Amino acid sequence: MTSTSDTATPRSRKGVDGWRWTGRIFLTIMILYTALPMVWMLLTSIKSGFAAMQFPPQWWPTEPTLASYRKLLDPQNSVGQDFLRFFWNSLFVSFVTTVLAVVVAVPAAYAFSRFRFPGRKFLFFAVLLRNMFPAVIFLVPLFILMRVLGLVNTHGSLILTYLTFGLPLAIWLLKGFYDNIPIQLEQAARIDGATRFQAFLLIVTPLSVPGIIATAIYSFIGAWNEYIYAATFLTKNEQLTLPVGIQRFFSENTTDFPGLMAASFIMSVPVVVLFLVLQKYFVRALTEGAVKH
Amino acid sequence: MRNYGFGRALARGMAVSTLMVSMMSTSVLGQSVDLSKWSPEYVRSIAGTEEFDTAELCGAVTPLDYEGRLTFWYQGVFEGDPDLLRQYYKDFFEAFRATYPNIELEEQALTYNDLLDKFRTALLGNAGPMVVRLQILGGVEFASKGYLQELSPEDVGWKTEDFWPGAMKSVMWEGKTYGIPTNNETMALIWNADIFERAGLDPEAPPATWDDVVAYSKQIHDKLGVAGYGLVARKNAGNTPYRFMPQLWGYGGGVFDEADPNPTYEEIRLDSDASKQALQASVDMYVRDQSVPVSALTNQQADNQPLFLAGQLGMMISHPSDYNVMLDLQAKATGDDQTKAQTVIDNMRYGLIPTGPDGKRAVVFGGSNIHILNPEYVEGGEVDEAAAKAMVCFWTSPEWSLKMAYAGSNPGNLNGFKTKWMKERLDSIKFLDVTTSMLPYGVPFPTLPETPEIMNIIIPDMLQNALTGAMTVDEAAEDAAEKVRALTEGGGL
Repeated sequence: MTSTSDTATPRSRKGVDGWRWTGRIFLTIMILYTALPMVWMLLTSIKSGFAAMQFPPQWWPTEPTLASYRKLLDPQNSVGQDFLRFFWNSLFVSFVTTVLAVVVAVPAAYAFSRFRFPGRKFLFFAVLLRNMFPAVIFLVPLFILMRVLGLVNTHGSLILTYLTFGLPLAIWLLKGFYDNIPIQLEQAARIDGATRFQAFLLIVTPLSVPGIIATAIYSFIGAWNEYIYAATFLTKNEQLTLPVGIQRFFSENTTDFPGLMAASFIMSVPVVVLFLVLQKYFVRALTEGAVKH
Repeated sequence: MRNYGFGRALARGMAVSTLMVSMMSTSVLGQSVDLSKWSPEYVRSIAGTEEFDTAELCGAVTPLDYEGRLTFWYQGVFEGDPDLLRQYYKDFFEAFRATYPNIELEEQALTYNDLLDKFRTALLGNAGPMVVRLQILGGVEFASKGYLQELSPEDVGWKTEDFWPGAMKSVMWEGKTYGIPTNNETMALIWNADIFERAGLDPEAPPATWDDVVAYSKQIHDKLGVAGYGLVARKNAGNTPYRFMPQLWGYGGGVFDEADPNPTYEEIRLDSDASKQALQASVDMYVRDQSVPVSALTNQQADNQPLFLAGQLGMMISHPSDYNVMLDLQAKATGDDQTKAQTVIDNMRYGLIPTGPDGKRAVVFGGSNIHILNPEYVEGGEVDEAAAKAMVCFWTSPEWSLKMAYAGSNPGNLNGFKTKWMKERLDSIKFLDVTTSMLPYGVPFPTLPETPEIMNIIIPDMLQNALTGAMTVDEAAEDAAEKVRALTEGGGL
């Protein structure tokens, strides 16, 4: 018995180790694949314009400089003024989109999850229908619509558009979440005298916080990174958002690579921070609907 | 550092100069600058000989105390452009506001590759600006669709003769004038003398013909392993036609007969033997010799520049702004990098664009024009005509048409060549002689509404089809000719 066990164990461990090492190598490659561009972006952002164009590249800047960051964050010079304005515009549009997405998606998803009404299935899939077409198809029709509504060159046009695109997935995401909250909890609250709204607000909502946070992150990232609609609806310099604004680093014949990389790095900070702080909710919400309780 | 045999090259190019002079036709006699005498020496002789008071001149068009509102879009200068040029743009708007304190100006700078598409979209929604400054090939398209008002130099106090005849052609549609040139440019060949020397070529002599470019490019690549010539073939980027058309015309080809003295644009020549020869030269460099950047299919000039400055590219076509960009980069570099940057500057050489096998030298007559829109396409449905003319007058004045083109181009208003700032430019911008010497070889793009589609889509498509091997040279040229035919004779835009 013992000898059998002794011979079996190393063979089994060997097999497990092989898979484990394959996994580790794969993960290392994936980490390098995702992290190296970020590292290169950061390194380029602390080079001078000339150093950024050297070949072979300066893997580590011989003369590191924060000039690009100083320029971008200095409200006294025109580049800094523009960049900071673009940043606040993006923050404003993304924040308002996120708040409105949550305010609309939460009751809508709850209704789809809990209520049975005529056309429920049709409406649910109708909401998803928009996401089955490439966004660019709606570009010109939406531009003309915004023009009729008088919203061209306003942040309202972007907020409205981002909600149109973001809400379907937000509703779908939250519905899955509500489906997994046992209805008995609400029934118990109702028996204890709570109204339906109180049961929703005091029982269901706290339980669905991870889903709401995930929806919020999703809406925020979508609005923060969106380019094509922002580039089409906005023409005034004072209205531009960051994805459109950083085009300024490309000119007809030349590109300011360190400035572009510094702007891209600063632009990625809010999203990365938001995701790192709230990622456990995001992952939980995405996987919650996969398991039936 | 010397510029390769200008006098000789200019003499050899007299045939083309004659062509240009013929384009000047009757207007040459009334011209404020005598274009028939055009040479680096002549340009130097007239620089700094006259003074112009912009406020006084434009005040005669729109009173300086005029109260109004103006929306204005233009191809702007941004972070990558030389500080000098950015400062002039800043100064311009400050000067305009100071001169016309009661005009509420809302200006919007757009990037080069973005401007046309954005403008088209805005027009669809009747949300255009009152005044727009477009790249030279855009005006006719919008004029033919009825978006632009008639506008001639006389409307803002200048004379038609104050502008290059070729540039004026680019704002004409069906015999009427729809805009005014702000700046005009012709490019030149830049090469790296150090690379030439290490590759066994004469460091001070550029390739004389396009066939030489192919041969030099191969020699540089074979000897040093770096790209020889900066081929660009990106789609929907103006840089591509600006670099391929001189080659096409040099070999004797063309889209139509646009390089002839009196073009009619009726005969399509993209599938001619000469055009195919030009396309073959690009294929030889990209496919056979592999002596150009492998990324040429998606490259534009902004991608060539880093390669050139890093010593990874032997030759490219560009305008004088590259020299200013380099000076800018050097000024902002520190430590060892500053020395390296100086070495790159020391090795920069500018020369005339090569000729074709028959000695034909040609370059795109580029630049930008300023236009006033029809009210129905403008946000709010109204155009403040007086405010619009004030802006047009200001930008096209001798002073500002020169200053706004200081680093990379030339003034649209020929009187700009007479100002003290032109003299200053000639003293401070090395190689300016070369690019101004190319002006008489300039060939305007065909003045057809379809030109942007042809130059930005069909020509790059033809190049890409041949370079990727999707089609043979013959097939690619014939396919492109057929597309031009379908566009101009059939479907239209």
